[in-house]
Amino acid sequence: MTLPRPRREAFYLPGPLLGGRFCLLTRAPDPIGTLIFVHPFAEEMNKSRRMVALAAETFASQGWSTLQIDLTGCGDSGGEFGEASWRAWIQDCHDAWIWATANLPGRLVLWGMRTGALLLADLLRSTGIAAPLLLWQPVGNGRQHLTQFLRLKAAAEMMADTDAKSAMDAARSSLKAGESVQVAGYALPPAVANGLETASLGLPDAYPAPVVALEVGSEGREDVTPALRILVDRWQSAGIQVRAESVGGVAFWQTLEIETSSALIDASVRALETFS
Amino acid sequence: MDTKKEVLSILDEVLSLGGNTAQFDVDTPLLGALPDLDSMAVVGVINMLEERFGFIVEDDEIDGSTFETVGSVIAFVNGKLA
Repeated sequence: MTLPRPRREAFYLPGPLLGGRFCLLTRAPDPIGTLIFVHPFAEEMNKSRRMVALAAETFASQGWSTLQIDLTGCGDSGGEFGEASWRAWIQDCHDAWIWATANLPGRLVLWGMRTGALLLADLLRSTGIAAPLLLWQPVGNGRQHLTQFLRLKAAAEMMADTDAKSAMDAARSSLKAGESVQVAGYALPPAVANGLETASLGLPDAYPAPVVALEVGSEGREDVTPALRILVDRWQSAGIQVRAESVGGVAFWQTLEIETSSALIDASVRALETFS
Repeated sequence: MDTKKEVLSILDEVLSLGGNTAQFDVDTPLLGALPDLDSMAVVGVINMLEERFGFIVEDDEIDGSTFETVGSVIAFVNGKLA
């Protein structure tokens, strides 16, 4: 027996910027519920597109629809990256939640990858929304991610004989002065940088829905990274039902070539089983 | 937490050493000894140290001597975690 192909629907969710937010809904036939996917930052979004599409297809075959939203100024959504702000991105996530609640049957799961996890944490803390959380390679600390993004610029300029430290300093003072900074083809606006810098992966104490955090690592790795382990321990002692797992694969959100990890999809399906 | 094991796995991954770091010891020289460890690879190692251990490396905290040997990297990480 062959499973019916999932139906894909693309539409724009109207927003403050011309064009609105691009959404892609992969519908499961007779769905248990829907995952709302929040994508990673800048180039990591493009690198992970294929993997997310594959996962959405597999989830659909297991009875779960997926709603992907391109954040303002990203992907196929309206506006430029330079017009975006962290606050607008949290609003994008909230609007996706409101739309899904009104229009889709079954329960909702929030699925965040990399800095998408940080946006979801900010959303949950500011709105009191509670839903099962699936986290892919979550970024634990926004300042760290911003530093790494700026380091891309520093590394590029280092090649051109500027020293890395002065390149980093120059970028930070431009942001502080309210100016955008060009990094790896993106005009990073202060309104994104500042929000990212202060974001952290904290959940409300006793968060009432299950959380599964998945990391990709070398085959046979016994535990998640020390950084995630500390976070998960903290959540557990705050009364949150959380599980973390390391699965085999390469860092597909960063690799030069487009890569995928089937183990990550399998582990996600197992997580969804515990959410239904 | 086994800092050495984690550091070796990072070096292995960034430099695609295919498990050869299993033979590395604290005295194994890095910078200048591993041809693929150029400035971009060093950035890759720094980023991964940050993400896996959960700290942030400031620009003035590191220089060439940090990446002299396996032991010097471990000492740096332990210093950050202390």
